[in-house]
Amino acid sequence: MLTNELLNGYCPDANTWDEMYATGSVRQQYSGVVDFLQHLSVEELGKKEEQAKRLFMTQGITFTVYNSGEGIEKIFPFDIIPRIITASEWGYIEKGIQQRLKALNLFLKDIYHEQFIIKDGLVPLSIIYSCPHFLREMVRFPVPYDIYVHIAGIDLIRDNDGTFYVLEDNLRTPSGVSYMLENREITKRIFPDLLPLMNVRSVMEYPNILHKNLVSLAPRQNSNPTVVLLSPGIYNSAYFEHTTLARMMGIELVEGRDLVVDNHRVYMKTTAGLQQVDVIYRRVDDEFLDPLVFNATSALGVSGIMSAYRKGNVAIVNAVGNGVADDKAIYSYVPAMIRYYLNEEPLLKNVPTYQLGNVEEQEYVFKNMNKMVIKKTNESGGYGMLMGHSASDKEINDFQTAILKDPRQFIAQPTISLSSAPCYMNGKLQPRRVDLRPYALCGPNGIRIVPGGLTRVALREGSLVVNSSQGGGSKDTWVLAV
Amino acid sequence: MLSRVADSLFWMNRYMERTDGILRMLKTNYALSQDELQYFSWQPVLKIFTYLSEEEAAAIACQGRTVLQYMVSDKENPNSVLNIVTQARENARSVQDHTTKELWQCLNDFYHTVRDEQLLEWLYKEDPITALDILIKQGLLFYGTSDITMARGEGYSFMNIGRFLERAIQSADILDVKFSDSKFDFSNVTDTTYWRYLLLSISGYELYLRNYSGGFEARRVVEQIVLNNHFPRSVMYSIDQMSRYFERLKSEQTTSAYNSIDFMIGRVKSRVRYSTPESIMQQGLHEFLTGVKNDLYAIGTALSQHYFAYT
Repeated sequence: MLTNELLNGYCPDANTWDEMYATGSVRQQYSGVVDFLQHLSVEELGKKEEQAKRLFMTQGITFTVYNSGEGIEKIFPFDIIPRIITASEWGYIEKGIQQRLKALNLFLKDIYHEQFIIKDGLVPLSIIYSCPHFLREMVRFPVPYDIYVHIAGIDLIRDNDGTFYVLEDNLRTPSGVSYMLENREITKRIFPDLLPLMNVRSVMEYPNILHKNLVSLAPRQNSNPTVVLLSPGIYNSAYFEHTTLARMMGIELVEGRDLVVDNHRVYMKTTAGLQQVDVIYRRVDDEFLDPLVFNATSALGVSGIMSAYRKGNVAIVNAVGNGVADDKAIYSYVPAMIRYYLNEEPLLKNVPTYQLGNVEEQEYVFKNMNKMVIKKTNESGGYGMLMGHSASDKEINDFQTAILKDPRQFIAQPTISLSSAPCYMNGKLQPRRVDLRPYALCGPNGIRIVPGGLTRVALREGSLVVNSSQGGGSKDTWVLAV
Repeated sequence: MLSRVADSLFWMNRYMERTDGILRMLKTNYALSQDELQYFSWQPVLKIFTYLSEEEAAAIACQGRTVLQYMVSDKENPNSVLNIVTQARENARSVQDHTTKELWQCLNDFYHTVRDEQLLEWLYKEDPITALDILIKQGLLFYGTSDITMARGEGYSFMNIGRFLERAIQSADILDVKFSDSKFDFSNVTDTTYWRYLLLSISGYELYLRNYSGGFEARRVVEQIVLNNHFPRSVMYSIDQMSRYFERLKSEQTTSAYNSIDFMIGRVKSRVRYSTPESIMQQGLHEFLTGVKNDLYAIGTALSQHYFAYT
């Protein structure tokens, strides 16, 4: 039993899956860490927390919030207690994500070519063509190796019986992977020797795999293709991640203004003149990528880049137009896609989703607003959300009016209670809700998922929103080898 | 290498060199102000390192702590240590894939140090030397870190070209402004404290004592600061180093751009090398230094035209 004051009084909510604690005892996978923590005093743990903060600050692992003309450095909140995933849980997650990603890639190829899935009546035509991320510019354009999604961040949550559900597929420019890597580095510093002792699998391979995949996409027959990471620049909140990834892969970090297109080829402006670029890992959204094709006011993109892309002179990662596959209204068709394209039963479950364009479903949702989460289909980062159980009548009314005006813009899901994990707060462990975002890399040789991921934490007690823009934090995520 | 990256690296080091110059100048001048019986003017320092007009500078020239505050942490002063270190850090941040992690962390630390309340407290209320020493040490760490960790590639060359260009301009400036105090009439300057602190502010005092045994003399001070190739802050040494790092760019690029800048560097190098203290005095120190500075500014402009233009 728990003897330490630290662990005493750890009391997860009833009806919630707790990652550490099950019916009065510590789960097997956490027992090693709990043993270790029990030998530490509150002061020692407090010191470790301080140390972690200092490490983030001195290494400049910060994002800058610009207001009142002066940049303020902020740390993405980090909780020192790791989140632990067993080998068998991981095996299941890995297979599930591989299956899902395979189907999503096939879906994107299909939707931009023959559209069999529409013709066979599985996905309604209207839902595709009403999606603003469905880009006609991509129609009938063969992307290299038929890979659209090279990097995916699939958000997983666990219901009260521990079942994993997919909450969102992030197939455009998923972020956060640098925190997966840096959180691990911090853990190495604050808990020396603990990782090998616990048989935690390494996440170090991520940049190498990604780099290899990027190089393999180069359209020219060139032994040393030029691969670049296109960033919106230092004012982007994920800029730290862009620099980290570029350095870890040894590729050039460029901004839109460093690139120029000439005769359907992309070049970067170097001290030795123009140098042709073969592969672009872009962290700029579709909308801003090419002012000649998309948003004409974009200063972040490169004029003419889409023409070079369509000519096959440059590879862009992730492919353009992926948003049609991670649209929240299309999300509910993913299990059907898996059955349709792969003839397999989906391993990872979808959260039940109500299409508000459907009259019956809309009626049901309106009757049960307080049990629902309403999401805008084209928003991310926790914006444009209504949490039915905590919303005021006015908020509910406003949403209902908006839904009636344009039902395609919204979906509804029953509130799923996320699993909880122990966090070190105010000198003791307290349960907080978490999700999990593993990063899948899809290359010509298949789909690899580095054993780990980003565990995001809702730091406020009782909160179910883990997005960093909404006050979420993160944890190091351990996948055990045995 | 991307033009933007080369530009950022070049300026990162120029900013760091300037920071070092400002901090050393502040330290020696503060010490000098404690030796002075009555009136001590910060006017020359303000003239070298700020954009203040004569009147604005005169208004604060006698208030040491105000000058320290203005030059170290004033947000409105574009050349305050706080602002230049912030600039250098922003530059380093945008080229993190071309520097080492250690170098970035070093600048990041510097940035957080210069904003440290405790340190500023020392600077404005207690012993400023303690605070200035801490800041100077941060700058030294930057040089040490870049020397030990940076690869000797194109980026390293641009960093050093920036650093030595800035240093050459600074040394010429310091000499020019200091001697203009005495209206370039060297017989006027007989007070040894004056010479001592001039040399101390650019870390050249001990070398002077070792080389010249007969006391202080304008001719020798000029010789050391302009011509002595063993003095790391001399104009000659800085230009030689700049030229050395520029030559390394040749293999990467042998176009007309390289040749035209090579010509400019060669010319200013000869102008300094084939001068003697006597010929400089004859021509007029101020005229000589102005000529050298103009050549150096032109090199800076040509570099940004030929190598850094990206917008």
